[in-house]
Amino acid sequence: MLAYVVRRIAYGVVVVAGVLLLLFVLFFAVTDPNDIARRALGDKVPPDVIEQWKANHGYDKPLWPWQAADNLLFDHFRRMVTFDFGRSDADDAPIVDRIRRGIGPSLVLSVPMFAAGLLLGVVLALFVAFFRETYIDAAGVFVCVLAMSISILLYIIGAQYVVAKLLHWFPISGFDPAPDVVARFLAMPVLVGVLTGFGGDVRFYRTVFVEETSRDYVRTARAKGCGEGRIMLWHVLKNGMIPILTRVVLAIPFLFTGSLLLESFFGIPGLGSITVDAINGNDFSTLRTMVFIFSLLFVVGQIAVDVSYSLVDPRVRLE
Amino acid sequence: MRGGRISAAAGILAAVATAACTNNPYPDRDAELPILYVAFREAPKTLDPAKAYTTVATQFNGNIYDRLLEYHFLKRPYTLIPALAAEVPSAVPLPDGRVAYDFELRPDLLFQDDPCFALGGDGRATRQVTAQDVVFQLQRVADPALASPVITAFGNIEGLLGFFERLGALREEDPGLAELPIRDQYARAGPIEGLVVEGDTRLRVILSAPYPQILYWFAMPFSAPVPWEAIDYYDGQEGRPHFADHPVGTGPYKMTYYDKQARVVLEANPNWYGVRHPEWKAPGATYPSEGMPEDAELGRLDPELVGQPLPFIQRIDFRREKESIPRFNKFLQGYYDMSRIIKESFDSVIHEDDLSPAMRAMGVRLETLVEPSVFYIGFNMEDDVVGAGGGARSRKLRQAMSLTIDSAEFVKLFYNGRGVPAQSPLPPGIFGYDPEYRNPYRQVDLERAAALLVEAGYPGGLDPATGKPLSLTFDTMDTSARGALVDQYLVDRWRLIGIDVQVAATNYNQFQEKVRKGAYQIFEWGWIADYPDPENFMFLLWSEMRRSRNEGPNSANFSDPRFDALFVKMKSRDNDAERLRLIREMRALLEEERPWIETFHREDYVLFHGWLRGVKPTGLSFPTVKYRKLDLALRESRRVEWNEPITWPAYGLAAVAVAVVLPGVFTFFRERQ
Repeated sequence: MLAYVVRRIAYGVVVVAGVLLLLFVLFFAVTDPNDIARRALGDKVPPDVIEQWKANHGYDKPLWPWQAADNLLFDHFRRMVTFDFGRSDADDAPIVDRIRRGIGPSLVLSVPMFAAGLLLGVVLALFVAFFRETYIDAAGVFVCVLAMSISILLYIIGAQYVVAKLLHWFPISGFDPAPDVVARFLAMPVLVGVLTGFGGDVRFYRTVFVEETSRDYVRTARAKGCGEGRIMLWHVLKNGMIPILTRVVLAIPFLFTGSLLLESFFGIPGLGSITVDAINGNDFSTLRTMVFIFSLLFVVGQIAVDVSYSLVDPRVRLE
Repeated sequence: MRGGRISAAAGILAAVATAACTNNPYPDRDAELPILYVAFREAPKTLDPAKAYTTVATQFNGNIYDRLLEYHFLKRPYTLIPALAAEVPSAVPLPDGRVAYDFELRPDLLFQDDPCFALGGDGRATRQVTAQDVVFQLQRVADPALASPVITAFGNIEGLLGFFERLGALREEDPGLAELPIRDQYARAGPIEGLVVEGDTRLRVILSAPYPQILYWFAMPFSAPVPWEAIDYYDGQEGRPHFADHPVGTGPYKMTYYDKQARVVLEANPNWYGVRHPEWKAPGATYPSEGMPEDAELGRLDPELVGQPLPFIQRIDFRREKESIPRFNKFLQGYYDMSRIIKESFDSVIHEDDLSPAMRAMGVRLETLVEPSVFYIGFNMEDDVVGAGGGARSRKLRQAMSLTIDSAEFVKLFYNGRGVPAQSPLPPGIFGYDPEYRNPYRQVDLERAAALLVEAGYPGGLDPATGKPLSLTFDTMDTSARGALVDQYLVDRWRLIGIDVQVAATNYNQFQEKVRKGAYQIFEWGWIADYPDPENFMFLLWSEMRRSRNEGPNSANFSDPRFDALFVKMKSRDNDAERLRLIREMRALLEEERPWIETFHREDYVLFHGWLRGVKPTGLSFPTVKYRKLDLALRESRRVEWNEPITWPAYGLAAVAVAVVLPGVFTFFRERQ
């Protein structure tokens, strides 16, 4: 297994390096340091100030290694590999500080959303699997497909309009980490996050549970007089956990990266929101850091899924 | 029994859910506090007063950093009044054409309390503000490492640019210099000759040539006194923030919470001179007793306000709202005290240039103000076809194109009518603006335009060289769908006289590249004043500011010795009859030459709730929060009235779900029995 993990890590390094190279090429294909400087300093600054800013941020260097030994591409990789993320192009703030500040709001949104989504998905899937081939099952399919078909933007705008504006249940947007008010800000994004995800989850988990209910051990349990409730909650749920675990383990690393759209629309200053701001503000140094972190977490998540498989199911061997 | 327990649990849950249901974004304990709630969209890039040049940064900095001078809250045209300085200084002529301004600081000025002052002595929480602190800040403006955007303006101070060069050269020669404390670095670069400190409170500012606009720059945070202790202390080390994120000033407010991605809180500063010395009745620390005639009508000169010591509001709570619709909805719910009108809601808020009945019923009030701004379509005067090189032929072409653009329709279509058609570069409120003036080439007259095209040699818009419609290129940086509509409108207007204008939409950088290469013919641009002086508009057409030569803001590359001569005479004069005459001459020249098609001056619509008083839009970026006053009881009662949670849909939805599922459950179990 160790050899497998080492091999996967090596693949992961190549993937992350490729992502960083692609990011560099794409970013500098559509913009150049003058544009970044203009965005940071505004339109009214004289050219000397632009040049000084570029020098201060290292953007006065040539882009490619064949142009000069001390080049922007080398600097880009060096910074990422050494975790020296530097300062934001938009406002000179240390990027590490920003990540440190953003991770809290991202987690307070993503963890409850993840937990509630998982709980609701499993419970509803068990419920519709229990009532399979009845109209409750059919209604479940209808609701799930409907939920999956609607864009998250519609959920967000609809929730803000109906739940917040018309019904006055929760604030339309915003965030305050104070313990007495934080829940009211999180209620609606969590609700929207759960609604957007539950359709796919329920359909997937239902398939797993229905497949399990047709297995021999379920028939045996039933023959031995085991109640349907116990069969579903004890035997089927436990054996259906392997595919569920795959989804869960893969999702865990991304709890840290936040949700781009939810954070942005609901005004939650998490890592997702920072990423959207970096895209909108031509903030290359922040954007590359966030993409680097995303790609690292993705690779880690993939390896974790494989390892977790072998841990929970002895039949799976990693070669 | 079991059913009873379930019912009780459901009842308790419903009660808790109802109680927890609130759209109030603020803690309940803050309801009775005099807190002004303000939304901001963009996170400020920096709060360093040497660098910050955005409206959002001024929203914070302007309240934290008091300047030597400031603008009168109510008087228009904009009038400077003393703030930290005891008087507004007058120009003192010196030999060799130099000019001096003598600033006398008020006595007993203190910085806000801050831990950084312990650097000057154990246990110190603050210290007195001296003229040296102003000099220190101006040295920072001239520090090449800070890349201050306003160094050109302050470069009028004798020796300031020399300091910039010396400091840069010293740092290049000796990289170790940057490790020294900042005051030592500045000391090594030597003094700025035009900044002479006499005692603790007297500062003489010497300009190498007359530049009366310098006083406006002393009303901006760029020149506010900054303590050296703050620069040394807030270095980002050992958990301390950077100075750019931790302002230390002398203003009516101080920052107590700063998370620029989400929230910024300012609290009244007890060290402010207005709080410590209300007996001075200083103009910047007392609600004014004079204003414009409409100020009395609009309740801005109520006896309840006039003469009262400032500030009225103890805390300003800025919340970041990136999306405009949620921001505006929160205003309608009473959670923001004032707001601008968003495009999407304009028709529901404004009816026939006034508030809609629904808004009136809510007690909302509207203030409008034409901003000191100008938006225009420019011609590249170095282009062979539309530029000055084409002589009378090109001039007549520009005149014809100017006669086709209907500014009133343009503003109505694309800006909800929020703008005044422009007749010249000068907007209302700026000296030289004439409300009666009608530019003959800014009236729509297609017949005359067609006649001018004939005179220009393009009859019916046809280019005799090709026999096809004259083809021109319109470069724009706006690549959005809305931008495409705006461009199409202009193209359609020019098509009316037979000219074929092709739109080339590019991003900012590509556009800049085109401008650098001179590869453009027609473009659109806008300018918002830094300070209320005609020089700040007319310099956009001064040949010294040509983009092609000096990368200045004269993107039309307009160069006319007659205009330049008039401009040079006008720019340094006081607002007298001669200056007005010069401006009229310049205007007449622009009228004929048409380097620009002036389109409109933007109009600002500000909404505020009836519980907020002391509101007057400024147009310029200067803070007025200290003049505002809240009626807390009215605000709280309106918020409660407008935001009662409606919970029946939740119960209805739950009932429907149960009604749908239960029969299935019963049937299922019955069949299994």
